[in-house]
Amino acid sequence: MSSLLIAIAELSRSQLVLRALIALGPVVAVLAAGPAGQWPPWWMLIATVVLAGGFAAFPESAFGAGAMLIVLAWWTASLGDGLHPAVLVAAAALLVAHVAAVLTSYGPGEMPVDGPLVRLWVRRGVLALLGVPLVWGLALLLDGEPEQPGVWVLGVAAGLAATVAAAVALTARQPGES
Amino acid sequence: MTQADAQWRPTSALGRAIVVAAVAVAGALLVGDPALVVLAVPFVVLATLGLVHRPSRVPQLSSQLDHATLHEGQATTSRLVVADADDAEHLTRAFGRPPYVAMRPHGGQVDALLAGPDGPAPVVELSPRRWGRRFLGEEKVALTTPWAGYRFGPVPLGGQQLRVLPTTAPYDSRADAPQPVGLVGAHRSQRPGDGTELAGIRPFAPGDRLRRVNWRVSLRSRDLHVVSTRAEEDTGVLLVVDALADHGAADGVDGAASSLDLAVRAASAVAEHHVRSGDRVALRVVGRGRELVGYGTGARHLRRLQHTLAGVRPGEIGESEAGVLQLGVTGGTVVILLSPMLAESIGTVAATLTRRGVPLLVVDTLPADVRPGVAEGTDPELAALAWRMRSLERTVVLQRLAALGCPVVPWRGPGTIDDVLRRLARRAAQPRVVAR
Repeated sequence: MSSLLIAIAELSRSQLVLRALIALGPVVAVLAAGPAGQWPPWWMLIATVVLAGGFAAFPESAFGAGAMLIVLAWWTASLGDGLHPAVLVAAAALLVAHVAAVLTSYGPGEMPVDGPLVRLWVRRGVLALLGVPLVWGLALLLDGEPEQPGVWVLGVAAGLAATVAAAVALTARQPGES
Repeated sequence: MTQADAQWRPTSALGRAIVVAAVAVAGALLVGDPALVVLAVPFVVLATLGLVHRPSRVPQLSSQLDHATLHEGQATTSRLVVADADDAEHLTRAFGRPPYVAMRPHGGQVDALLAGPDGPAPVVELSPRRWGRRFLGEEKVALTTPWAGYRFGPVPLGGQQLRVLPTTAPYDSRADAPQPVGLVGAHRSQRPGDGTELAGIRPFAPGDRLRRVNWRVSLRSRDLHVVSTRAEEDTGVLLVVDALADHGAADGVDGAASSLDLAVRAASAVAEHHVRSGDRVALRVVGRGRELVGYGTGARHLRRLQHTLAGVRPGEIGESEAGVLQLGVTGGTVVILLSPMLAESIGTVAATLTRRGVPLLVVDTLPADVRPGVAEGTDPELAALAWRMRSLERTVVLQRLAALGCPVVPWRGPGTIDDVLRRLARRAAQPRVVAR
C-alpha cells in the first residue's frame, strides 16, 4: 500500500490528470448505457472499475484492452436501443481514455507531459472523433430500412476502405517535401 | 537491449486500437448492432493511421557531454545526436539517477516533438554536486512514430566516467612558510639574500651592489653602509589527507559536508594557494588507495593534485602498514595534516613529526554535529556510548598534541591556517632542542 502511495506521489501532475482520465473513461462509457435503458449491474461496474484502475496504473498493459472490451461487451449485451445518443458519449469516453494512455506512454511517470504533444493529440483525438457522429447519423438514417443481404459486410468494408484512403491522403508527402 | 539490437516495435496503443476496433467490428457483424460500429470508429482511424506510418529506417543515436572535466557544483550539457530519424515524430530522454548528480529539466527526463529529421533533440543539463568518480550521461532514449504506432527503444546509451574535482573553495593566506629552503619564491627566508624584505643595515663589503648603498646612514657614519635584505624562497608543502574513514553526512556542495569532504576541499584549496605562490606541493593520502603525488609546481601539477583528490575513496589500509606511517617528510617541508583525528595511527604520526621538529599543522575535519554510522540492529544506546568514549579519546589525543606543540585548528575556509603558520614561522626562527 505504501509503495503504491509512493508511486502515485512520484507521478507528475499532468500524469495524474491523464491517469484520472484513463480511469474514468471506461467507467463513463459503461455508465452511458444507463440512459439508453440498460444500467450496468454492480458486478459489471466493479469489474469495469478494477480494469480501468489497472489501465490507469499500467497504461501500456493489457488492462486497457480489457477495460474497453468489457465496455463493448456490455453495449453488445444491452441491445435495447443501440442508436441511443448515449453511444456518442461512450465512444468519446473510450477515445479520451485511449488518448490519455497514449500520452502517458511517451515517457516515465515522473516526467511531465509535453504541452505541444498534448495539443497535437487533442487535435488528433478530435479528428478521430469526427467519424463517430457521421457513422451514428448514417446508422440512424438506415435504421428501419429493410436489411439487404450482405449490407453489413459491405458497409464495414466500405468504411475501412474509406479510412485507409483518408489515412493515405493525410500522410502522403506534399510536393517539395523532403 | 543495446542500440544494435534496438528496432521499431508496435506500441501497446496500436495493439489496443487494433484489438478494440477488430472486436467491435466483428461484434457488429455478428450481432448486427450499429452501436458497436459507432464505438469502433475512432479506434479504426487511430489503428489505420498508426499502421500507415510504419517506419523503415533505423535511427542512429549518440550522446556526448560538453565538458570532460568538472568541479563539483559546475554543470555541463548532454547533447543527443540523432541520425536517420525521418520516421520519428517524438523523442524521449530519461536519465538514470546517479548519486550526487542534479539534472535539469525534470530530473533528467525530457521529451519533445522533433522539429524534423535533423532537428535538435532536447538537451539536459547535468551538475555533479560532490567530488569523486561520477558516471554522467547514462540515459535511455525512445523515438515514436506519428500517431504513436511504433516505438524505437528505449535504447540505453552509455555515459561517461568523470572525476569531479573538488570545488576551489575561496582560500588565501598571507602567512610565511616556517622553513623555506628553495631557490626562489614568495616566503621570507632566514638567510640574507636578494629579496625585498628589510633584514638590516650593515657596513659595505666587497661584492655589494651600489644600488644597495644607504646614503643617509653612510653620510652620518662617514662609512659606506648597505641595506641587507632577506632572501625570498619557495617552500615544500606536504598535504596529508586522512581517508581512513568518512564521518558525517555528505549532501554535496550545497549541503552538509562529511569529514572527507572537508579534508578534500581544504586540501584542494591549500594546494591551489601554494601552487600559485610558487611553492612545491606534494600529496599523500592515508587510506585504501594510498595515493601519492610528489612535489611539483605549476598549473599542470595542481590539476594532477586535484585529480588525485577526486579519486580518494575512504577505507582502512592493510594491517601490515597500519603500524607506523612513513610520510617521507624532507627538510624545509611544512606538513598540513587534514584529519578527523579518530585513527590512532594518525595521532602517532602527528606526534612523531612534531617531536622531530617538522613544522606540522593539523586541520581538524570532523564535522561539529557528526553522528556515527551505526549498522542495522545495533543498540542505539550502546552506539551512543561507544561514540562518547571515542570522542573522549579523541579529545585526549588533541590535548596531547597541543602539549607537544602541534597546532590543531578546525577548517574555517580563508585564513584558517594563517595564524598558525605565522606562529610556526616565528618558532622556526628560534633555537630549540630537537629529539632524535
